[in-house]
Amino acid sequence: MGPARSLRRSSPLTIVVGVILCIVIFVFLLSPSSADTAAAKSRQANAASNPLSPPTSPFRKQVDNGKRVPPPVVHYKMNNVTSTGDPVGNRETILILTPLARFYQEYWDNLMKLTYPHELITLAFIIPKNREGNAATAALQEQITKTQKTGPEKLRFASIIIERQDFEPPLASQGEHERHKMENQKARRASMSRARNSLLFTTLGPSTSWVLWLDADIIETPPSLIQDLAFHDEPIIVPNCFQRYVDPKTKEKKERPYDFNSWQDSDQAKEIGAKMGPDDILLEGYAEMATYRTLMAYLYAEGGDPKDKIPLDGVGGTALLVKAEVHRDGAMFPPFAFYHLIETEGFTKMAKRLGWNAFGLPNYRVYHYNE
Amino acid sequence: MLPRHHAKADAYSNGYPRSKDKTTYSISPHRFQPRASPPALRRRRQLLFRLCIILAIGLFAFFIWPGASILSILSLGFISTGEDFQLETVRYYDLSNVQGTARGWEREERILLCAPLRDAESHLRMFFSHLHNFTYPHHLIDLAFLVSDSKDRTLPLLSELLEALQADEDPKMPYGEISIIEKDFGQKVNQDVESRHGFAAQASRRKLMAQARNWLLSAALRPYHSWVYWRDVDVETAPFTILEDLMRHNKDVIVPNVWRPLPDWLGGEQPYDLNSWQESETALALADTLDEDAVIVEGYAEYATWRPHLAYLRDPYGDPDMEMDIDGVGGVSILAKAKVFRSGVHFPAFSFQKHAETEGFGKMAKRMQFSVVGLPHYTIWHLYEPSVDDIRHMEEMEEERKAREREEQEKLDRVKKIKDQFVDTGSQWEKDKTGIQNEAMKEKKEKEKKEKEKKEKERKEAAAAAAAASAPDEEARKAKTLEAAREAGKPQGNPQ
Repeated sequence: MGPARSLRRSSPLTIVVGVILCIVIFVFLLSPSSADTAAAKSRQANAASNPLSPPTSPFRKQVDNGKRVPPPVVHYKMNNVTSTGDPVGNRETILILTPLARFYQEYWDNLMKLTYPHELITLAFIIPKNREGNAATAALQEQITKTQKTGPEKLRFASIIIERQDFEPPLASQGEHERHKMENQKARRASMSRARNSLLFTTLGPSTSWVLWLDADIIETPPSLIQDLAFHDEPIIVPNCFQRYVDPKTKEKKERPYDFNSWQDSDQAKEIGAKMGPDDILLEGYAEMATYRTLMAYLYAEGGDPKDKIPLDGVGGTALLVKAEVHRDGAMFPPFAFYHLIETEGFTKMAKRLGWNAFGLPNYRVYHYNE
Repeated sequence: MLPRHHAKADAYSNGYPRSKDKTTYSISPHRFQPRASPPALRRRRQLLFRLCIILAIGLFAFFIWPGASILSILSLGFISTGEDFQLETVRYYDLSNVQGTARGWEREERILLCAPLRDAESHLRMFFSHLHNFTYPHHLIDLAFLVSDSKDRTLPLLSELLEALQADEDPKMPYGEISIIEKDFGQKVNQDVESRHGFAAQASRRKLMAQARNWLLSAALRPYHSWVYWRDVDVETAPFTILEDLMRHNKDVIVPNVWRPLPDWLGGEQPYDLNSWQESETALALADTLDEDAVIVEGYAEYATWRPHLAYLRDPYGDPDMEMDIDGVGGVSILAKAKVFRSGVHFPAFSFQKHAETEGFGKMAKRMQFSVVGLPHYTIWHLYEPSVDDIRHMEEMEEERKAREREEQEKLDRVKKIKDQFVDTGSQWEKDKTGIQNEAMKEKKEKEKKEKEKKEKERKEAAAAAAAASAPDEEARKAKTLEAAREAGKPQGNPQ
């Protein structure tokens, strides 16, 4: 009894405390989600206090006690929002916008491989409200949960927004063949424009520096895509979109140009446009309408410098990096014939009217899915 | 408590001597023996073993789900990373739920209220009194302000007023999300009335205004908004129910009529916002002749468009619910469905169909087949700010008024002075006056008597004389009477 006994009894307790301390230290040392990492810190700093906040920042979960707490007065100093050639160094936030009709796992995998700091990336999707869209949403949400909840901290994105479109796409089928019929193009691209604008203007927020338009069927890009495009420090810049395929005759793996919407204007195209009615649009890549424009797709040179840059009059939207201020000034994707141009091509024209120029990188390739 | 060990009742179970008479009651706990336990060494070994198992499981789980989960379990959310785990990063919105309906307040539809500000310090308090009075549920309205290139205290005053608004005791007073966006565009155009409304400055001014509006909207529009309301801070009078009133029409874009009160010398009131109009053939023809970057602005003689203006169609007693289709809209008070802006309609900061800013907005909305209407008989009142001409005129009027006052004062002074000077002689004057009057009366009476006699004589003579001479005689008589009367009246009127 007495002192000897009490000593004996407390010793396991000391051990327990010691071991727990060891575990804590161990976890602190190893855990990538340590509070001390820069990523976590920036996440903390950017977190907003309520779900009404700009969607590009995460928010703290609200305790629902039935009482409404008035949101605070928040100042956004937009004079300090920059978009420069060194986006990583200047900690510039980027918004990746994707109109999603079908979900491809390769697209998500490619996204995860991007080397741009993920805590500076916000993803936003707009998905039609139909059967296909529901399936795509489910698949997307599964991947999001995997990444954001249980994935490594380093790969988690700052914020993710899923929007369901408030209008029906004009075509029931989104098959590649159906999609590219000329008569369907105008309605399809007008609807696409509306989707793009809806997504853009509800997610842009006050702190975004760059907007990357990335189609859901872009399945392969260099991992440093954002840095490489931003490096040129141009208001609008577009890489060359190709497609990999297997030649049916030789069974060889080959690649071919895919996106013909990036071009330099021609006099012939202007002439055709001048004769058109106010609602008609010029389309690229159709034999019925020979525009003789200089297409960036055909300017790719084997072994050429990927940093080569050319000015453009129309851009494609498969992969497209835009400084946020271009969109903020009002440059959007016209869902109507704007100088006989629509969607991304109309966007280029509108940006030009606002004093922003577009450029293309003919030797810098990204790859489109092959159906 | 009864002792359990009756057999050893007299024994010392815990080293303390027990009193023999107190066998029935004791509270001492020392009488109980600890349960027989395994040797301490074995216990310790067991404990270590258990701990090792927990550690192993923990590590295993940690490698399977690398992340913050273990840490947060271990730390019970007390250390800072627990907060990180609390962050919500995924948002889901169905845009078909935010289309905007006629009775938005019942469906809890959120409105984004946008107000671009520049050097607006003097109007802010008035604007906040309007904010206090809105009847639409405040928590459903999100406020967004863009403060640009302000040289006065707009920004500090704005945040001060907003903080006070959000901290209001009345739970119905605070608004929803509040954003103050600070962005300078380096505008060189002055904001005073003259430079604001001069014709030459209009095009570039309107383009800059459009840019500011677009920056504000793109930064503040969220996927949960059903409506967007643009409101200038210099509206003086507007119905408290304006949001509901406009919403009830269930149009894509809707504007009220905007007038302003004037001083009386300018006619009492005047149409203010001339940017809400219906397109005319003349204007379309004019547009075709202008170059790509030209901007048609209303209200200037340089562009005679002959458009029907919403402002001029106002009837003070007209039906406030009457609608009119318009093509250009003014920006003083626009209620639009958020889907209009989501579709890409914005305030062109370039010449869109020869128009910019809010007029271009109306044109673009029409281009995308949205309904754009104005309410000619539903009026809100813009603040009256006198123009340079008005100010000059008012200065002139003020001068005039002062001159008149001065004159009157002088006259008054003069009279007073005269009175003061002659105050002693006044009674003497009166006496003299009556004396003169009496004399005059006497004289007059005598004269009248004489005249009567004369007339009598004349009459007699006339009766005797020939009838032919009567007319000239009459004339002479008349003249004589007049003269006499004048003479008689003279002394009466003179004293003053």
